Amino acid sequence: MQKYLRLVLRCIPCSLLFALCSLSFAQEHSYAPSDIENGRGLYQANCLGCHGNDGDLVEGANLSTGRFRRASADEDLIRLIREGIPNTLMIPKTNLSYGDTRAIVAFLRALPTGGAFVADNREVVIGDAARGEALFFSNQTQCSVCHGVNGGGNLLSPDLGNIGATRTSASLEDAIIDPLSEVRRGQRFYRVTDLEGNTVNGLLLNQDTHSVQLLREGERLAAFLKEELESHGFIPSPMPSYLDVLSPDEVSDLVAFMISLQQEQP
Amino acid sequence: MKRIIHIFVCTLGFIICLPSFAQISTQISPERLLNADQEPENWLLYGGDYDSQRHTDLDEITRENADELELKWVWQNRARDGAEQKFEATPLVVDGILYTVGAPNNVVAIDAITGRLFWIYNYVPSLEARLCCGRVNRGLAIHGNSLFMGTIDGKLVKLDSRSGDPEWIIDIAPPEFGYALTLAPLIIDNKVIVGPAGGEYGIRGFIAAYDVDSGEELWRFNTVPGPGEPGFESWEDPEQEAWKIGGGSIWQTGSYDAELNLTYWGVGNPGPDWNGDSRPGDNLYTESVVALNPDTGEIAWHYQFTPHDEMDYDATQAAVLADMVWQGEERKVMLWANRNGVFYVLDRATGEFLLGEPFVSVNWLSGFDDNGRPIRALYPTEEGTFIMPNNQGATNWFAPSYSPVTELMYVPSWLDTFSVYTKRPVVYTPGQQYVGAFPTMALPALGVNAVNQRLPEEGLGAIQAINPQNGEIVWRHMMSNVTDSGVLSTASNLVFAGGREGHFYALDAETGEELWRASLGGQIASGPMSYAIDGKQYVAISAGAGLFVFGLRD
Repeated sequence: MQKYLRLVLRCIPCSLLFALCSLSFAQEHSYAPSDIENGRGLYQANCLGCHGNDGDLVEGANLSTGRFRRASADEDLIRLIREGIPNTLMIPKTNLSYGDTRAIVAFLRALPTGGAFVADNREVVIGDAARGEALFFSNQTQCSVCHGVNGGGNLLSPDLGNIGATRTSASLEDAIIDPLSEVRRGQRFYRVTDLEGNTVNGLLLNQDTHSVQLLREGERLAAFLKEELESHGFIPSPMPSYLDVLSPDEVSDLVAFMISLQQEQP
Repeated sequence: MKRIIHIFVCTLGFIICLPSFAQISTQISPERLLNADQEPENWLLYGGDYDSQRHTDLDEITRENADELELKWVWQNRARDGAEQKFEATPLVVDGILYTVGAPNNVVAIDAITGRLFWIYNYVPSLEARLCCGRVNRGLAIHGNSLFMGTIDGKLVKLDSRSGDPEWIIDIAPPEFGYALTLAPLIIDNKVIVGPAGGEYGIRGFIAAYDVDSGEELWRFNTVPGPGEPGFESWEDPEQEAWKIGGGSIWQTGSYDAELNLTYWGVGNPGPDWNGDSRPGDNLYTESVVALNPDTGEIAWHYQFTPHDEMDYDATQAAVLADMVWQGEERKVMLWANRNGVFYVLDRATGEFLLGEPFVSVNWLSGFDDNGRPIRALYPTEEGTFIMPNNQGATNWFAPSYSPVTELMYVPSWLDTFSVYTKRPVVYTPGQQYVGAFPTMALPALGVNAVNQRLPEEGLGAIQAINPQNGEIVWRHMMSNVTDSGVLSTASNLVFAGGREGHFYALDAETGEELWRASLGGQIASGPMSYAIDGKQYVAISAGAGLFVFGLRD
């Protein structure tokens, strides 16, 4: 247990991001904020009932990742939405014009920013990406102790290799200075304490009425029966706030580096 | 002479055999359906019997031996495009034969002891079929030697229960406009009664009776009345156009009181779902229970649970009928745990409102007026309105149970959920969804996720025991995910139910204590039922794409 706690403390410097909400990424696909905003309304009217607020409610069709199993190009997505998928609940949306469907795609491309129904178009100062990169890998921040960039880091913390394609600058800034403001599903940490008082923290992978499944210390899978526990429940993410660690300029440099990370992982 | 003797013997044998042949050839008579509660070894109607109590008098499985339950057999639905859908059907069991429907319209007859198949009838729906909420079917009806099934492309199929061969298929309503049949039909006398889903597509709903022999339509009750029909005045748009696409789906099988000669049906939402500006008025008979004369389809009374609904609070729950001393007076009541979060007790002879008590967190109403009409507190707005319960509601089509032994109602419940309802413009296009802006949902509406990483405040499920005398919650069996499972209660004071997590439970009907559970590895989205063969009791439940049957260890 002590070993685990030490490991967690070492990782604390940055179990970065994957909190927060907002939309409007769009740099890669050249969608105007107005397209995304329009798409948001159309998504809400036509898609939300099944796919949910954050696009992640349909198993096997998680829209919040920015990747689509049946389509990669935007035109493929437009066709899929308009024609549907036979014999599934994905019914044809022939009521949507091409322009409307394109707006939904614009929104879907922005959806990975999370909390898609809280628009966050706040202007954020973008600093120097090279300086941000140096900060990311520095002992000052220790971001890279936890977070990989297309590899590296640990499994309890999200890899940031494509973070620039899936977050707005505003949400990146928020995640650095106020990471607990919202933690998304898939990034939530959980603590179990057994009847002897032993405690294990980990990333919550799954739970039901009777059991809980974690990715725990040493990047090991662990399952617990709730009836054998003294207590269990969610705990705050170990991602610390850098509000008092970095200057505003350094935060903007870090944001610039994050935005530059737009490489699809295999 | 020998020949004459031979003929005589054969004739005599034929005559002797006649009664049993006659019995076989009319396997299920209307009288057997009327007295279904007197043959608990069978399950002859969707709700167990006409009162939809889903209570069995079988008592071999008890609180003392429930932990000896074991799996007896499994049937897996392998119909094309069926395995990914919810398995919502409640089976029928008739004299050792189990009949059920795998999604979408895959009918089977199975040996109820071994799980071996007698026959399979795989109906292939038209590509025109369109459904908001799953290519599903909730069950069959039986009359004589015929089974009746509604199809997702708006047809009614009559099958020979011995061969699985179709006898006729009739058109009920056009699928290209969103009409679909997902409910189990109801047989009363020689009529088969159904109604269509499709309230999300701008249908105009109805309940209709068809002759079991010819398929001829005998009567039709429009759940959205037209000019000249009672209730039309509740559609107040000056253009008088809204009623034509006013919704009023029928998702759930009705109940029947033979003594009162009334059949009771819940009606679904008005269309469009989440923006009622185009349909001012109460929008009868949406979100209502209607009491109809089964001989004529004429309405005797109605009660509207959610007037002018804009939250999709379908009244698609089973009308549970019970005779009880209610607050000191012998009454024929109807118990109704509604999607809108309120548990109701009505007098089913008159429709009188007797009781309305929330059974989950509710904020859309502040109480009831003297006539039992809800006093509305909140409406969807253009800015968005936080309303409890959420769009999927406090409960839904999954059937509750009432036990005359404990005198408690057992309700599968979604606790403390909410949606933000935002009003947006809606345009009707034939055959397309006609709903408005989907409210926010923290939970999967239809439930297919095997992973649950949600916070507790995003919604929990429970089986709740409610006292019909006052609406109080007597006990609550909590689950960390919501449930689409129905409930079965037994004479031996057990309650069987499950949830999305795939756990199937036997609970103490008096306390809610868990006595036994099995993990079935798939979402439970159907109602458990029970039957017996040679004195041995079985309990059946579907989960994922499989039908699982349990009995006590041999």
